[in-house]
Amino acid sequence: MDTIFMIPQKKLLAIISFLFLSFLINFNTASAQDAEKLFKQNCAVCHSLGKNKVVGPGLEGVGSRVPNDAWLAKWIKNNVEVLKSGDAYAAKIFAENNKGSMTVFADLKDNEITALIAYIKNPPKPKEEAVKSSGSAAKEEEKGVNPLAVLIGIIGFLVIIIGVLRGVRHTLQNLQNEKEGKPEEDAIGPWKEIKNWMAFHKRTVAVIALFLLGGVLSATWDGLMGIGVYEGYHPTQPIAFSHKIHAGDNAINCQYCHSGVERSKTAGIPTVNVCMNCHKGISKGPVTGTAEIAKIYEAAGWNAEKGIYDKPQKPIEWVKVHNLPDFVFFSHQQHVKVGKQECASCHGDVKVMTTVQQMKPLTMGWCIDCHKKTEVPGMKDNPYYESLHKKLAEKYKGQPITVDKMGGIECAKCHY
Amino acid sequence: MNKKVTRIISLMAVFGCTAIAFTSCEKHDANSPGVEYMPDMYRSPSFETNLTTLVQKSDGTFDTVAENRNPAPGTIARGFMPYPYANTPEGYELAKVNAHNPFERNDANIKEGEELYGKFCVHCHGAAGQGDGPVAGKLPGPPPPYTAPDKINLTEGEIFQLITFGKGLMGPHASQVSQAERWKLVLYVQKLQHPDGVFPAPIAEVKAPAVTAKAKKHKK
Repeated sequence: MDTIFMIPQKKLLAIISFLFLSFLINFNTASAQDAEKLFKQNCAVCHSLGKNKVVGPGLEGVGSRVPNDAWLAKWIKNNVEVLKSGDAYAAKIFAENNKGSMTVFADLKDNEITALIAYIKNPPKPKEEAVKSSGSAAKEEEKGVNPLAVLIGIIGFLVIIIGVLRGVRHTLQNLQNEKEGKPEEDAIGPWKEIKNWMAFHKRTVAVIALFLLGGVLSATWDGLMGIGVYEGYHPTQPIAFSHKIHAGDNAINCQYCHSGVERSKTAGIPTVNVCMNCHKGISKGPVTGTAEIAKIYEAAGWNAEKGIYDKPQKPIEWVKVHNLPDFVFFSHQQHVKVGKQECASCHGDVKVMTTVQQMKPLTMGWCIDCHKKTEVPGMKDNPYYESLHKKLAEKYKGQPITVDKMGGIECAKCHY
Repeated sequence: MNKKVTRIISLMAVFGCTAIAFTSCEKHDANSPGVEYMPDMYRSPSFETNLTTLVQKSDGTFDTVAENRNPAPGTIARGFMPYPYANTPEGYELAKVNAHNPFERNDANIKEGEELYGKFCVHCHGAAGQGDGPVAGKLPGPPPPYTAPDKINLTEGEIFQLITFGKGLMGPHASQVSQAERWKLVLYVQKLQHPDGVFPAPIAEVKAPAVTAKAKKHKK
């Protein structure tokens, strides 16, 4: 039990005061790591350590631009005060940066600012990232082999082998005949031989023919039913936008971009200003690097070096995937706002799609199937539908009120 | 008999070719939607949302333009009230004291705000408004927490102005959320800032001229 009580009092005091002092010192000198953390939390939202402008100017070489370190410290702490004092350099950079005011950091301590300035002047070298350069390497795709071509190849190969074997057999037969002194046999054409075989095996031929006919008919039927159905369609888009990265990995809600879905017939393709809400700060993607995001900048007319929109704008021509013909009316608003349908019930699990693919057939039969099964959850509490709901509840006592019960499968509901 | 068999075979060959023709056109090419019957009903000459159309230019050549057009100058959507404060430091100072939430701070409105927050804010600002959403880590710097000393006392007008026009890295969100939705968002953001339900007292309204003088000073 020789614990703290065994130590003489003077020594104990000395230890305590030493600990206390080192504690103080620890708090007074912000280390390089602290500076990095401080920079990330307070500055990085607007300033990069390189040359490029994010919101405010890039900080590379800032030490040689500003009058002196003391000025920089003052500016970081309270730039409004410096501006008010009529400082010439302050007025100059304020004007240069479109008169956007910087946040006041009155809570930063002096030693923290000193550490920050040291950090800004000697930033750590950016790590070489293992992002593939957008170009030849990223474009290398595995080329799928068409199974039909393989089948035709195999059949062709077998036909050649059969031909060769038949020739060999014929020659051997003639050799045998020569030995036995019989006359030479005529070569029989393959076609004639098949005919002969079929004449002797009529039942087998009939069965095979029936099977083939059935297969051909069902293939024809399937082919005809697929006309005008886009299921499985996944076209290449002008920008390799990945829903997997945005909606999946980054968990951005569908409605952030397709914000019209609750108030319009169409969910809407986001205008490029919505892309820029994030991509003003993110210019490099995890898969395609800077190549694809540069296309957004081109469309928006964004000048990444200056941090302003000063170039001509160019709309992006996205390829429409889910297309309903003009003779049918469909409204997203109805289905999402009142029907409370999930996006995924018609569009599939978009969160895992790299390129958007049409997952459902979007045929009339498919619509009607759903209308016969689905209740309208947004109807019960909505005062707008109160009287209708009461009437329907009386008419179909106890039964679930599905879409078809309120006229959801009448022709003129969708075709007019 | 042989003739009949030959006929059956040739018939099957015809059917087979038809079937292959129908099925092979389909879905092998990701960029092709497949066979269409009456394609004019799918790609009609009438204007449709988010598609393009050909427009003849004065020199006779055609140009592909978006079918979404800007509304005629001066038109206002039904029920839309123009927002009176501009995207300038002066407008910000005016909105700070003069813009007030038309919605009552009740549970229904806050809940709507929460739903909207989950759609439009949470991926950057995080569920509790601490700037820790999944996108925040990919930005050059995360958004500051709502409870930061310089953010916790923002007025409702300031928060509304910030959502409308953006600030710094945050872009303007006026095109995605309507004014009413923004005010409900303000209610929820304030709830995240002050979970105890104690909100800072509103700043007394300042008359426009006084604020303009202040703003002028600021501009200098």
